[in-house]
Amino acid sequence: MPWVSAIVLLPLLGALSMLAVPAAPAGALQARIHALVTAGGTLVLTAILIGLFDRDAAGLQYADHTGWAEEVGLEWDVGVDGISLWLLGLSAVVFLLVVVATCWRPPERPRAFLAMVLLAEAGLLGLFAAGNLILFYVFWEAMLVPFYFLIGMWGGEGRARATTRFVIYTMVGSLLMLVAILATAFVAQDITGQFTFTIRDLVGVAFTDTQSGWLFAGFALAFAIKLPLWPFHGWLPGAYRAAPILVTVLLAAVMSKAGVYGFLRIGLPVFPEGADLLAIPIGVLAVIGILYGSLVAWRAPTMRLLVAYSSIAHLGFIALGIVAFDLQASQGAVLQMVNHGIVVAAAFAIVGIINRAAPDDRIDGIGGLAAGAPRLTWIFLIVAMASLAMPGSNSFVGEFFILTGVFRQHLWLALLACIGIVYAAVYMLRLYQSTMNGPPRGPAPPRQAELRVADVAYLLPLVAIMFLIAFWPKSLVGATTATLERAIAPAQVAADRPADQIRADVTPNPPPDALPLPGDEMPEAEAAPEEAAPGEPAP
Amino acid sequence: MSDLNVVAATPLLITAGTATVALGAGLLPGRTMRRHGPAAVAIAGIVAAFVMIAVLWGDRQEAFNGGLRADRFSLLLSGVFLASAMLTILLAWREPAAVDRRGEFAGLILISASGMMLVASAGDLISIFLGIEILSVALYVLCALEVWRERSLESGLKYLIIGSVGAAILLYGLTLLFGATGSTSLSEIGASLQGTSLADEPLVVAAMALIAAGLAFKASGAPFHMWAPDVYEGAPTTVTAFMATATKAAAFAAFLRIFTGVMPDLQPDWRVAIAAIAVASIVVGNVAALVQTGMKRLLAYSSIAQAGYLLIGVAVGTIQGAEAVVYYLLAYGAMTMAAFAVVIIREREVEDGDSLAALTGYGRARPLLGVVMALSMLSLAGFPPLAGFVGKFLLFGSAVEADMTWLAIVGAVGSMVSLAYYLRVVAVMWMAPLEGQPRKLLRVPGPVALATVTSGVAVVALALMASPVLDACRGAAEALLAP
Repeated sequence: MPWVSAIVLLPLLGALSMLAVPAAPAGALQARIHALVTAGGTLVLTAILIGLFDRDAAGLQYADHTGWAEEVGLEWDVGVDGISLWLLGLSAVVFLLVVVATCWRPPERPRAFLAMVLLAEAGLLGLFAAGNLILFYVFWEAMLVPFYFLIGMWGGEGRARATTRFVIYTMVGSLLMLVAILATAFVAQDITGQFTFTIRDLVGVAFTDTQSGWLFAGFALAFAIKLPLWPFHGWLPGAYRAAPILVTVLLAAVMSKAGVYGFLRIGLPVFPEGADLLAIPIGVLAVIGILYGSLVAWRAPTMRLLVAYSSIAHLGFIALGIVAFDLQASQGAVLQMVNHGIVVAAAFAIVGIINRAAPDDRIDGIGGLAAGAPRLTWIFLIVAMASLAMPGSNSFVGEFFILTGVFRQHLWLALLACIGIVYAAVYMLRLYQSTMNGPPRGPAPPRQAELRVADVAYLLPLVAIMFLIAFWPKSLVGATTATLERAIAPAQVAADRPADQIRADVTPNPPPDALPLPGDEMPEAEAAPEEAAPGEPAP
Repeated sequence: MSDLNVVAATPLLITAGTATVALGAGLLPGRTMRRHGPAAVAIAGIVAAFVMIAVLWGDRQEAFNGGLRADRFSLLLSGVFLASAMLTILLAWREPAAVDRRGEFAGLILISASGMMLVASAGDLISIFLGIEILSVALYVLCALEVWRERSLESGLKYLIIGSVGAAILLYGLTLLFGATGSTSLSEIGASLQGTSLADEPLVVAAMALIAAGLAFKASGAPFHMWAPDVYEGAPTTVTAFMATATKAAAFAAFLRIFTGVMPDLQPDWRVAIAAIAVASIVVGNVAALVQTGMKRLLAYSSIAQAGYLLIGVAVGTIQGAEAVVYYLLAYGAMTMAAFAVVIIREREVEDGDSLAALTGYGRARPLLGVVMALSMLSLAGFPPLAGFVGKFLLFGSAVEADMTWLAIVGAVGSMVSLAYYLRVVAVMWMAPLEGQPRKLLRVPGPVALATVTSGVAVVALALMASPVLDACRGAAEALLAP
């Protein structure tokens, strides 16, 4: 069974099925059923895929391949490896929870809202599963459209400005990425004689340092904006603030992983020399992001902004883990992608719940909720501890992995990043103390913020996953080892790391013995695309 | 090949003949007959021409001693012109401009389309110029069709004056080319230019510059674009839609025929000129479109920018470039027609319907039209997986392959800027609240709805089912470069 294709296409099908649902009052229930069934089905399929996944294999598994317009290199090519597996899982879980929460208290025009959420899910799942650069780009761009409408049509104050900024920022990076993708294929064709956009066929292509540097830079800008890396974060506060809280959850928990995923999946394996060239600059920006995000979060006036800026800091850690080119650090990065997704999804949901008692979202406008909302206080405490990476929490494992690896490679970056951990405690505890402890104050009675059945249904699975990862991180990390060893090996070679750290062989592409003479190379390189066109549709 | 071979020219002859019959049908007695007769005749003629295109599809045939060619290139582009004419006639079903002039409207659209077909299938410099004149003269009249409206007359006059200047420049260029090579036949010119370099042919340099400028007038490429916003704004919107889609395609057919088709060896010499026009168009079109408040002016500047993207494919001068241009012409036709269709519908509902403000909340009031407009705008901006994305992908890809990566980067930067105004249209339509209009899925006459939905579906279908379309485009590009 084509598992991965089914997982990607099921939400798309769900979104299209909304076209058959009558408008709001009559079709409200039907729309909810459609959304729940497709989002739930996606999670079930993803869970089955996680069960079937071969944890020791390094390559792409369950790859599905179909032509689209193969004359020009467009094709449907999806699969799953140790990195994307957990991001698929994260997306499926978070999206199902968001759909459940939406169905519980539907916004106006629920049909369109749910359709957009499902489209976004298809876009993100496709992005994490794409094995072809063009398909990656298609999903990268296509998922902007549902988010654009979700923020623009259901968002709060300042949404018009926020959406425009969000889309333009992202597109600035991604259109250059499109040029970089095209350039990658044509440059690789000159080297290997094979015209392809498939990521696994591009791994190991012997680009010169200059080529690799420029191509990596073209991709890195798009990833850095999406991440967002300081100073490309200008779109983030506005979008997180203007979006409806459930959409903010999606942005922070799932979409923010697209950039780091790109670095790990495309940047490092395909352009190791370029990645090595830019590793320190990106690492420095990541550390600045950690410090900047933490400091701004500390002084943030509203709860949403606090969580938003803390997100910048956390993603800085993940980026730092990736550019360390260290197995342990990159495992920590993958683990932390999942952790951050789960924790931030819970954190924004709690902000949304507190907002019931304090609609203006200001931190200094509310306090003493513990008196009227004890259950919320408990859950919030757990989430806050997870967010500031308390030993014993899931984030602790991830950050520990990352910092161990970074300490080994770049001592001073790790030292600076540690300051961020201290600040995480400062801002999270500030938020917790001022809202939960002290005498009750605020516009509405604290009871307003007590957890209801819907909130528990949303938060409990997230907390359960936090505990699961905290107690049994190996379940997650183990499956990433083989993939990551291979993904970072080329970059480690390029960075001249000691041989005992490099755990996978780097196969040059084309293999050295198959390299034709300079004279033979030219006709072959030119003949390849013409031959590929009629030849390929046959299988 | 020295025979008439009239069969190869049948699509053109059918279109021209139908134009005459449609003109006459507008004079028939009986109100219903006068009203729907010309459109019915025109549609029947277009369908017949389509059938002949399908029959002739294949290797090149020549008619009139090589003056006309029926190859994949000319047939595919003829299809574009005819489809565009058909959609225009459907959209004009209740066009106020055409109330008493249905015969003239349908007839002139078809005359213009036959001029375009003559350009696309030209095997001779004379045919190219004749075609361009035929299509232009018909459009001069069409622009001024709403004689009671000053703006319409102004638009017709402006187009007449500037169009004549452009035609004169083009004619100069063609004459110099004839002077340099001693022949008007494209194949003979191609043979005599093969392997030459411009260093010893100053006449050819001048000819190329003048031809590029003359065609850039028609394609509304900067800095020869000044007429486009005023003419687009003033002309009846159905005519604008036709101009924006079909005329542009005809101009690019001529570009490809003359530059890519006849002078491939001189590409290093002429590519700078074409690339310069491309960059200027991308910059001017995108920047000027940012500040527009009227939909027709916005689409006019957008069409200037799109001409810039298309010129990228001409500048690279390869088969891949020509293929990309042909595909993008199909995509561009579909998305522009879709956008204009929504504007046309809105214009008939409210006064001043072409302003951006008139579309406020329109997506929520008429979801189907809102979706069509959103698809069109997102596709123009190059969002995947829509036709505009595949087109830009091919154009930028051809530029990168031909070692003109900088041109692709200019195109990419231009697309970023374009987002600001394309997304503004979408935002206005969907994000503003409904202003008390009753919610209706679609409330327009059947033919108009058919044309609108067809264009919207084409925007998606051209991308999702790109494979056969690309095969056809590749065939067209190869036919173009065949000696």
